[in-house]
Amino acid sequence: MDASTNTPDSVMLTEAQQNPNIKSEKGQGDLPGDLALWIFIFAEMLVFGVLFVAYAFTRANNVALFNDSQLTLSQTSGAINTLVLITSSYFVVRGVSAIKRGLSKQCAHWLTGALLLGGVFISIKLVEFYAKFAADITMSTNTFYMFYLSLTFFHFMHVLMGMVILGSIIAKAHRGGYSAQEHAGVETGASFWHMVDFLWIILFPLVYIIR
Amino acid sequence: MNNTHALSNRLLTIIWLILVALTIATFSIGEAGLSGKHVMLTLLAIALIKSQIVANYFMDLRNSKLIWRSIMFGYFLIVGGLIWLAYLIGLK
Repeated sequence: MDASTNTPDSVMLTEAQQNPNIKSEKGQGDLPGDLALWIFIFAEMLVFGVLFVAYAFTRANNVALFNDSQLTLSQTSGAINTLVLITSSYFVVRGVSAIKRGLSKQCAHWLTGALLLGGVFISIKLVEFYAKFAADITMSTNTFYMFYLSLTFFHFMHVLMGMVILGSIIAKAHRGGYSAQEHAGVETGASFWHMVDFLWIILFPLVYIIR
Repeated sequence: MNNTHALSNRLLTIIWLILVALTIATFSIGEAGLSGKHVMLTLLAIALIKSQIVANYFMDLRNSKLIWRSIMFGYFLIVGGLIWLAYLIGLK
């Protein structure tokens, strides 16, 4: 009798310890993925938000300088990169949708597509950075370029970080490490990638278009 | 919960196409060289709509608790509002 009452508890404890993020334990209305990463996402949003607002108020005192310098940016590159990130986010959400149905390989394929688009974004940004440095434009050229280079480079680093996260998720998905029941890791990485996307959605009109 | 309210792939594709269309709208305004507070308000509204779409449908926050959705919406509203205020100051 003692054995029959103790055994189920010990089995449940072991499962919980082995899978602390098990999906079935998440309640209605919880954030998708790991809460710890969401705290990081909110912190990153705050940092970018402060930088966006700092850019806007600095521009308010230097409108002519910002408008003239903005003309040297390629709106086409910025728009293409926006489309690239939006499409990569779509691929990521399709990957999440696939793993929710237990389709691990399909999930890995969608995420690989997103990773490749991340590579396209990085390549376009590198061409833009190279063009600026070739024209002897640096952060000390003027206030606009200080903001433009620091904001876009900071975002660039987040894209790189997102690509590393996607790469590790793809590798685990290929090994069959996720399932329809346990895919918190995929949702966590996806949330980070979408954050990178929507920050660019604000950055693009703010720095490239608004005048 | 996510499985229960999972969006169909067809709807996700429509949402993606809406985001693409809004991006082309932003780019077209830029290419036309338009400026002024009404244009600025339009651009901010487009960015706000796009960000909310990404948060609600791609990040899957639409079924999250009110507190999380409020943080996200409040962020876009405050950051967008301050950018708008700074733009108006710059016009003077």
